Amino acid sequence: MASNFLVALNGHLSKWGLWLSAGGLVLMTVIIGWQIWGRYVLNDTPIWSERLSLFLMNYYILFAAAIGVREKFHLGLEFFKNALPVRVRRVIELMINLLVGSFGVAMVWYGGQMAVSTWTHVIPTLGLPTGTSYLPFPIAGVLIILFSVQHILVGTEETEEEDQ
Amino acid sequence: MILIVLFGTFFVLLILGVPVAFTLGLSSLVTVMYMDIPPLVVFQRMAAGMNVFALMAIPFFIYAGELMLHGGIADRLVRLAGAAVGHLRGGLGLVNVMSSMLFGGISGSAVADASALGSTLIPIMKRKGYDADYAVNVTVTSATIGLTVPPSHNMIIYSIAAGGTVSVASLFLAGFVPGILTGICLMVAAYVVAVKRGYPRDDFPGFAVCVRTFFEALPGLITAVIIIGGVLSGIFTATESSAIAVIYAILVTVFFYRSLSLEAFVTATKNAVKTTAIVLLVIGTAAAFGWLLALNQVPARLFEMLQSISDNKYVLLLIINIILLFLGTFMDMSPLIVITTPIFLPIVMKLGMDPVQFGIVLMINLGIGLVTPPVGSVLFVGCAVAKIKIEETVKTIWPFYLALLAALLLATYIPAITMTLPRLFQ
Repeated sequence: MASNFLVALNGHLSKWGLWLSAGGLVLMTVIIGWQIWGRYVLNDTPIWSERLSLFLMNYYILFAAAIGVREKFHLGLEFFKNALPVRVRRVIELMINLLVGSFGVAMVWYGGQMAVSTWTHVIPTLGLPTGTSYLPFPIAGVLIILFSVQHILVGTEETEEEDQ
Repeated sequence: MILIVLFGTFFVLLILGVPVAFTLGLSSLVTVMYMDIPPLVVFQRMAAGMNVFALMAIPFFIYAGELMLHGGIADRLVRLAGAAVGHLRGGLGLVNVMSSMLFGGISGSAVADASALGSTLIPIMKRKGYDADYAVNVTVTSATIGLTVPPSHNMIIYSIAAGGTVSVASLFLAGFVPGILTGICLMVAAYVVAVKRGYPRDDFPGFAVCVRTFFEALPGLITAVIIIGGVLSGIFTATESSAIAVIYAILVTVFFYRSLSLEAFVTATKNAVKTTAIVLLVIGTAAAFGWLLALNQVPARLFEMLQSISDNKYVLLLIINIILLFLGTFMDMSPLIVITTPIFLPIVMKLGMDPVQFGIVLMINLGIGLVTPPVGSVLFVGCAVAKIKIEETVKTIWPFYLALLAALLLATYIPAITMTLPRLFQ
């Protein structure tokens, strides 16, 4: 029951997260396009554009990277793992999910520390707290934990690429 | 001892099958805890490694490539290559290599190149009587040309990894000749194998068709001209040029070719985001790993070790190439650029090699790693498209490996191949 809820929740998170990330890439294209337009046509280079698009990029990259944990599109060495008998492979899969999940925990903990400790500083051209640029780390960390827990509880095969 | 912890956890996690990005992050975390440094530093290094303005060109490069793939530009480049070299013996093999030189020059990503051209060319080749293994061999090895022919987003990663001392413009200029040279080496291999196996040839379609297909493909080729021209002239930064290339690719495929549907646009955007996420996450964790290597003086120690083996420049360059080839067999390109550049660049510079030349050598070398098992993302894509086993492909791929190795050795030992163009223009 609980695991069904988690699978459904993660399905929504990764689906909407990917849309959000895709929107981030499109927005970033628009911002840099605007910067070029501003510099060469309006003769007025926007000072916030590069900073903002890098800020945006860190958000959508880390979201998409977390979704990669659910969809298993991160590259790894599968050669040895796949050569092993199924039962051993299951144990290794479990270990991998635990390890990736624990990196998620570290991302939440230390990413949160980075965000909190720099919250009173301000990003010059954007006027936002510097901490906001570290915020994607704990957020992605939470997603990575949720996706890893799902893989541990339900297994990995049935979730791959189902929204494609 | 610290290094044993670092490399030990790294290799254990890697062999277990933990994704490379997390392998690098976790082994850095473990090592930092062993050294009694606050683990926070790993994430600070990771954030710093990802918070680089120049990195913004990477999503744009990948995005432009995806748009061209889903928007029908790749097909037109294949037709152009077909008209030009399709009438020779084993023509489709040569068409494949030439298409890679054209398309790879635009997308700059070997995986995009292999999936774009592979899905178009491999079925045609099979239908015309070429063996599947040959089709895959040609497709995947020629896909690596895109890493060397400018523009290439891996050159941007290298430029950042080298500490910003190597200009992207010089790297772009330096890549032209080695890229064409690699193409020629592969064409020779493709031709020789084709003659041996008695593959067919097509009729020459006539000069008029060549001209027509050229003008059909021209709007696509202009994408590369925009990026290269923007960077070389210094009018635009690499990020701006590649953003223009994205906007241009959307305009051309929507209004000129009328071949980009909304669905294809969404797929291209999502794919670009995923690929960028893979590349940039790994760059982040590799930055933390690389910082630990520097902190523990790995570059200096390795240099001493190499010097104790030999003091001959040519032997040392060969050893460095062999180490990189070995690492390339089981790791992907972008983390290796981030990690190995700070280690080997100071060494080769002491041996008198220009950082620009080393960048190109690195592209060719690590490109070979993308088509070698056990981890070869480009090889896997090619085999998936052709629906054949990796083992079958690898049995007959050696003439193509030889061609790539020949190009690598030429680029390593003859500086003029890489350095003539950048010296001419600067």
